[in-house]
Amino acid sequence: MNETDKKSQKEALKALRVQRKASIERARNAVKEQNKRVKAIVAALKDGAKTVPEIAAATGFSTPETLLYVATLKKYGRVGEGPKDGDYFKYELLESKAGA
Amino acid sequence: MQTHREMNFDALVVGGGIAGLQAALDLADQNFKVAVVEKDASIGGKMIRLSKVFPTLDCASCITTPKMAASAHHENITLFTYCDLKSISRESDTVLAARVVQKPRYVEADKCIGCRQCEYGCPVHVPDPEQGNFSMRKAIYIPFSNAIPQIALMDVENCSLCGKCAKVCPTGAVNYFQQPEELVIRAKTAVLATGFRLTPLDQKPEYGKGKILNVISSLDMERLLAPHGPYQRVLRPSDGKEPDAIAYVQCAGSRDKTLGVSYCSRVCCMYAIKQAMLLSGALPLADITIYYMDIRAFGKGYEQFFQNAKAMGIEFVKAKIAKIEQADNQSVRLRYEDQEGAGAVMEREHDLVVLSLGMVPEWHPEGICPVGCDTDAFIRTPMSRLSPTLTDMEGVFVAGVAAGPKDIVDTIAEAGAAAMEASNYLNKLNKKAAA
Ligand SMILES: Cc1cc2nc3c(=O)[nH]c(=O)nc-3n(C[C@H](O)[C@H](O)[C@H](O)COP(=O)(O)OP(=O)(O)OC[C@H]3O[C@@H](n4cnc5c(N)ncnc54)[C@H](O)[C@@H]3O)c2cc1C
Repeated sequence: MNETDKKSQKEALKALRVQRKASIERARNAVKEQNKRVKAIVAALKDGAKTVPEIAAATGFSTPETLLYVATLKKYGRVGEGPKDGDYFKYELLESKAGA
Repeated sequence: MQTHREMNFDALVVGGGIAGLQAALDLADQNFKVAVVEKDASIGGKMIRLSKVFPTLDCASCITTPKMAASAHHENITLFTYCDLKSISRESDTVLAARVVQKPRYVEADKCIGCRQCEYGCPVHVPDPEQGNFSMRKAIYIPFSNAIPQIALMDVENCSLCGKCAKVCPTGAVNYFQQPEELVIRAKTAVLATGFRLTPLDQKPEYGKGKILNVISSLDMERLLAPHGPYQRVLRPSDGKEPDAIAYVQCAGSRDKTLGVSYCSRVCCMYAIKQAMLLSGALPLADITIYYMDIRAFGKGYEQFFQNAKAMGIEFVKAKIAKIEQADNQSVRLRYEDQEGAGAVMEREHDLVVLSLGMVPEWHPEGICPVGCDTDAFIRTPMSRLSPTLTDMEGVFVAGVAAGPKDIVDTIAEAGAAAMEASNYLNKLNKKAAA
């Protein structure tokens, strides 16, 4: 892409941002909320593997929401499944931070 | 600016589920040029989303993926995915015209290599309906792991336009400015293979209107059992507990006049038995109960399949569940009349309850295509005994669940029959033109 193309692409993106203002705002707010949850869950797991009810108790999130995030963090390689503790599996942090 | 393309084919297939793909392959193998129009971003329909299939317990993906790949690579088949079918009308005695809008993926199909770098880079999480909303995808994503084509798409409603996906894409495929494309697909014949959806989970007030934790649909359970499922094992969605007691509520959306679904959806008995068997394999210590009105094991090998399930220790309770309620500890309480005992009102609790919901048509042709429907809303087959794939529109045929609930075996057989009818029709037209 040459300089003029780059400039017109930038202008077009700017116009698109104006056009999609409402949904962009919503998405940005969602990211902020989601990041808070991810951070809290990651913090809860820093001091050892935990089950979903244990993570929920540590973070104050509901258990369904905690599982939703744990499943997502697992999908994107940030959390792994650990050993079973009673009827529940424990989840632990993985080294890689890819994707979540 | 919206672009516009016009194309000619011998046959148009609407719906890229197993019925549509089988019909397309059978026509393409006879050297007819076929267009497949699919509304989703991937072909494969429900079958690619299943775990295993009754009665053989073959892995669904292992037997669907080859058909999907064969269709995608067939020189006589052109796939149009992520499409909105606007109309099908007869232009002349020999030509049908379909007006279709191909929705923008915001990713250029010829550049995307399906590497998912964009998905990993995207910061926005969105609940993923492909996984029963039990896990999340990103705002730019590959529809699911065994999707065909493996091309990403962007969900602009949830995109923050941060630019990260475009930055990490190794082939420059992300295009925020992509526009819908208007297609006019002309063909001499068409096969309608638009399949089904399940009745809504929140339909029945006495079943908790979708508000009770750990009450899920049968398709949700397929995802929990699938190798690429949201948890990669069966857990109850409220808190990740490995369930000890799982129940199936049969006829939860069929044979129920109050829901406008008075017919039997035909496959629910068998898929509930299948899922129960898979669950007893995955969770050998769990109690699995199927609450049923009567078991309809109609196909080859199906009665044996039912007997095997009983022998495996799956409990069958003859009862129509009257009420579903939330119990303590996120359990689910079922209330029913004990029909085989003294007729007393019974209550039992389970960790996870699966509703075997009814099958209703995915597509309603009214206002889009002048093909008739029956009182059950599935596409009418006026000669259902002798030529079950004929519709009331000349040159337009139907296959699979679009014509009424059926299993995969019957769907495939019907798709072959629809392709044969379409092929005969094409040969007749071609002979007439040559005369
Ligand atoms: C929970 C569950 C488990 C099951 N398990 C089994 C099993 O183990 N064994 C078995 O034999 N059967 C099983 N079945 C039944 C099986 O799913 C169906 O027989 C089969 O999927 C029917 O295929 P189809 O192509 O007719 O419909 P579908 O699979 O519904 O495919 C229809 C396709 O058409 C597309 N479409 C719809 N409308 C439009 C439109 N307007 N424009 C473009 N495209 C459109 C859809 O997106 C979809 O891709 C199960 C069903 C359920 C609900």
